[in-house]
Amino acid sequence: MSALARAAGYRQVRVGPLSLRVRPRAAAAAMVVLILIAGGAAFALATGSLPIPLDRVLAAILARDVPPDVAHVVTGVRLPRVVLALLAGAMLGLSGAALQALTRNGLADPGLVGIKEGASLAVLALILAAPALGPGWRLPAGMAGGLAVALVVVLVARDLSGVRFVLVGIGVSWLLASALLVFITTADINDVETALVWLAGSLHAAEWTLIPALALWGVLGAVLLFATARAADAMLLGDAAAKGLGVRLRLAGALGLAAPVLMTAAAVSCVGSLGFVGLIAPHMARLVIGGGQAAVLAASGLIGAALVLLADTAGRLAFAPLQIPAGIVMTLAGVPLFLFLLWRRRDQI
Amino acid sequence: MSIAATPSAVAGVRLRAARPLLVACGLGLLVAGLSVSHLGFGARAIPASTVVRALVAFDADSFDHNVIVELRLLRLLAALAVGAGLGLTGALIQSVTRNPLGEPHVLGLNAGAALAVVSTLTLSPLLGGGLPASALAAIRPLVAGLGATLLCALVLAAASLGRTGLTPLKVTLCGVAFSAFAAALTSAQLLLDDQTLATVRLWLAGDLSGLSYGGLWAALPPAAVGLGLALVLARRLDALAMGDQVAAGLGIDVARTRLAALVSAGLLCGAAVSLAGPIGFVGLVVPHAVKALGVRDMRLVLPLSALAGAALLVAADLAARSLFAPRELATGIVTALVGVPVFIALASRRRP
Repeated sequence: MSALARAAGYRQVRVGPLSLRVRPRAAAAAMVVLILIAGGAAFALATGSLPIPLDRVLAAILARDVPPDVAHVVTGVRLPRVVLALLAGAMLGLSGAALQALTRNGLADPGLVGIKEGASLAVLALILAAPALGPGWRLPAGMAGGLAVALVVVLVARDLSGVRFVLVGIGVSWLLASALLVFITTADINDVETALVWLAGSLHAAEWTLIPALALWGVLGAVLLFATARAADAMLLGDAAAKGLGVRLRLAGALGLAAPVLMTAAAVSCVGSLGFVGLIAPHMARLVIGGGQAAVLAASGLIGAALVLLADTAGRLAFAPLQIPAGIVMTLAGVPLFLFLLWRRRDQI
Repeated sequence: MSIAATPSAVAGVRLRAARPLLVACGLGLLVAGLSVSHLGFGARAIPASTVVRALVAFDADSFDHNVIVELRLLRLLAALAVGAGLGLTGALIQSVTRNPLGEPHVLGLNAGAALAVVSTLTLSPLLGGGLPASALAAIRPLVAGLGATLLCALVLAAASLGRTGLTPLKVTLCGVAFSAFAAALTSAQLLLDDQTLATVRLWLAGDLSGLSYGGLWAALPPAAVGLGLALVLARRLDALAMGDQVAAGLGIDVARTRLAALVSAGLLCGAAVSLAGPIGFVGLVVPHAVKALGVRDMRLVLPLSALAGAALLVAADLAARSLFAPRELATGIVTALVGVPVFIALASRRRP
């Protein structure tokens, strides 16, 4: 192991034939985030209109002898909600980290460039046009919608790493938002109410049936992103340098765009529009852990999961028994952070 | 040496001087034609001759005359006022920020106005029993104007930080961020308060139905003050277009002019939003259209933007009522569907 790596804070861990470079500081930070997530999950499972002590929460999860109503609240209502929050948050965080690396723009957010609205529109069209099809179809429909919008934005902006990409993305998301309003103001009021609950970025409709498909896409996207993390590192040096290092630019670019788009669209199809997670999580990840793209991806996923869990729990408890959707809490917390990021780059844009 | 002018040069000068007049006449005719169609169109189509007769020789016994004057005229007047106000606001803001993407919706004026109005509705019961509905309706234009001005000032202040100044990207991003924050506060209040949601649901989509003559009269004084202020400022805005230093060299207080223009824009936008809700993108499209017709002088751009805004909003309202008839779209949706492609075209034309 080179002295340079050691000087940068890396330490080598050997397990038999395998060796891994780790940074103790980053590992410690990751542990802190994990502990926060575990604590937050335990808190979310225990509190609500029916407070349940932690030992009984654990007993319910392990299917020990607890009253059926307590078991239902824990495993049927709160646990799927916590799992969905963690999964969707992790996917949004990963997408944001990948998109920011690809566009070399720290202000790129999957929600800012229209993917969110594209997925929402497709799912809404599905709910209104074919209500018989059931929630299982929402995921593929949303992913198709998000992908279509991303393609349109890329084609109109022509260049991923410019000002134009962000501005065109904002414009496209406004256009789709008003198309959403056409649906909301003309459709049958019952359909609209179903749709609105989901659109506000709320997790209260969480069910176990949503989770396997979402997890599948999450894992697939994560594998793609971690596999291309080294290419993404090289691409930060510029296209020519990356090409010289043996990166296949077109392939890396296509994967680096497709994976976050599909993951964002999948998450939005399940939890509605949850903005600012994909924007903020990568910045916090770089601030707290830093390192190469693989480390930033991992940290963004963890922090995204923690953020959504926190936002959902806060929205659930702040004005109980009334619930504020996690999307609104996330926006209220996310905007000041966004402005701080903007202020730090005030001389460059 | 005598100044010799060739006939063709004289004709050219005359044509250039006459162009704003031609544009004004054209826009005036357009507004008149659209207004008559607006009054004639509806669940019951009324021929243009009857419309004109109802206006010039009202007959209280005629059912059609009553429909026109009692129902449709109110909506038309509101559409004209809102369109004119938003067109003027857009022209003012684009000139003050020297930013082609400047627009009430982009700069957060709409979101600020909506937040202010919804907050007074939800918070007034907390302030000792609550204000009567008529008082709330009467102060709505001022409340909306105050909210619009404050949020827009925040957006501009945040966007002007740094050495690069008010770049279109910074202005747009700050506008998006502050608007999202205000919209989240608005939705949170609406989720916690069903009664207010029922009151403002349609208004928030940007809609011209559910108006009253009382609301229209309440909106006119702030709009008139805003209009007067804008016209007084027109020459200074022309100077400001040449750059801050040139304007200062011409003896203009740049900061005070900016502030006055912002207040004027806030009053106009507040009056418009109090009537029709947050309608976006009229202010983006209109000044570009007026300048594309060859008018540059702010003293002419401002009134012509008002005329063109009125024409655009009446046309949008006609489309909103007829596209999916018998169902109606909210007018704000139509203006967004027209205006956003213009935004995208303007944004993608810029060099990256």
